[in-house]
Amino acid sequence: MPRTPTVTIRVPSMLRACCGDAEALEFAAASVRVAMEEIGRRHPPLYRSVCDETGAVRRHVNLFVNESDVRDRQGLDTALAPGDVLTILPAVSGG
Amino acid sequence: MPERVLLALGTKKGVFVAEAPRTRRTFALRGPFGPGVAVYATLIDTRGAPRVYASSCNAFFGMKVLRSTDLGRTFGETKAAPAFPKEDGRAVANIWTLEPGNGRRDLWCGVEPAALFRSPDGGNSWEMVRSISDHEHARKWHPGNGGLCLHTIHREGARIHLGISTGGHYLSEDGGATFRPANRGVGAGFQPDPYPEYGQCVHKIAGHPAAPGRLYMQNHGGWAEWSGSGGPRPDIGVLRSDDHGRTWRSIAKGLPSDFGFPIVVHPHDPDTVYVMPLEVPARTSVGGKPAVWRSEDGGGSWAPLAKGLPKRDSWFTVQRDGMTADSLPSPALYFGTTTGQLWMGREGGEEWTCLFDSLPPIHCVKAAVV
Repeated sequence: MPRTPTVTIRVPSMLRACCGDAEALEFAAASVRVAMEEIGRRHPPLYRSVCDETGAVRRHVNLFVNESDVRDRQGLDTALAPGDVLTILPAVSGG
Repeated sequence: MPERVLLALGTKKGVFVAEAPRTRRTFALRGPFGPGVAVYATLIDTRGAPRVYASSCNAFFGMKVLRSTDLGRTFGETKAAPAFPKEDGRAVANIWTLEPGNGRRDLWCGVEPAALFRSPDGGNSWEMVRSISDHEHARKWHPGNGGLCLHTIHREGARIHLGISTGGHYLSEDGGATFRPANRGVGAGFQPDPYPEYGQCVHKIAGHPAAPGRLYMQNHGGWAEWSGSGGPRPDIGVLRSDDHGRTWRSIAKGLPSDFGFPIVVHPHDPDTVYVMPLEVPARTSVGGKPAVWRSEDGGGSWAPLAKGLPKRDSWFTVQRDGMTADSLPSPALYFGTTTGQLWMGREGGEEWTCLFDSLPPIHCVKAAVV
């Protein structure tokens, strides 16, 4: 039976207060959606900062699996492999 | 501790708090708190130990409600912010108003897309009020340029008046259990029907506890020259009701423009009401000469209050919650502009002074004596 992959979630500095100032989180998740659900269980304020109440990723937040934007892959259903890095990044800001 | 005047300013770049002694000679400014994040709603809650609340609506990371228990020296986040139930399908895009409720820690909150929330515990938990948020009209309201917002919550005992843009005025007479549109006499210039049942672009509603049943409304005016379907609709912008909002009549005659956003009632005189007329379509001071206009007879006649304000080349925009009054015996008026100026008008607006002239764009100004 395949093991659920352990992945790393990188947290941007402005959201670290939502997860005990951690720069990164590590846990088992087979997809981005599962990773976000786990974040929701462990760190609800971090989840609410990344996803709205419908479960959608906020418009100005980007999620990258390694170097690819999940919006260019399968969105929240993008699969994760052992050792993948899921990076949370805010979009570029104007004035 | 001697009384002081506290102002809570919501700006495009966070919340500021200004404090002055009763003389209001000088104001000390604190902030910004929640820096860089737009604040459309503030509340100075004077029930018991004063608390200052502010919405903090981050375009990146979502909604927060900030709370201060030390008169705006520090702010922390409440444990939760208003959010729709997941199955609803809507997501809160902005918090437009925070108002005190009945209980000592009860709060009401109006949001975008237009919906109403209540908190029983000072903002640590929130519940959607389904009677208006799931009203049969709710999915038929349309956003104006400011978004589809529930921006006004005015309570008179069991009666609750809501202002929705664009939804109109909704009235509950049973403490919020049910709501119905109450817009007879409230015009709309952007629909074929000049007086629809609902869907008006109400900008602000105000009343006074000494005159129950009387309400003043700044509606979306500026339709006197309208040549489209239904013809011109002059003077639909400033209105009064004397029957708890069931029917409304124009009180705009005498104003240089019936367009504007805020409407404020004198804290000690329900016959005295203030508006800030703006030109359409620019939404700026008429002729580049800012003036607050005052009626002392309930809207029967109007006169400008401009002493101390710029005489020319000043294109102020004052948003719906950008004007208020304090409650001292001789109250001062305050307004904040989208160009970052905060003005104070002593003696009910008789003489104006610029308190701060380089703040971020100001969305709301609330005042309290604490």
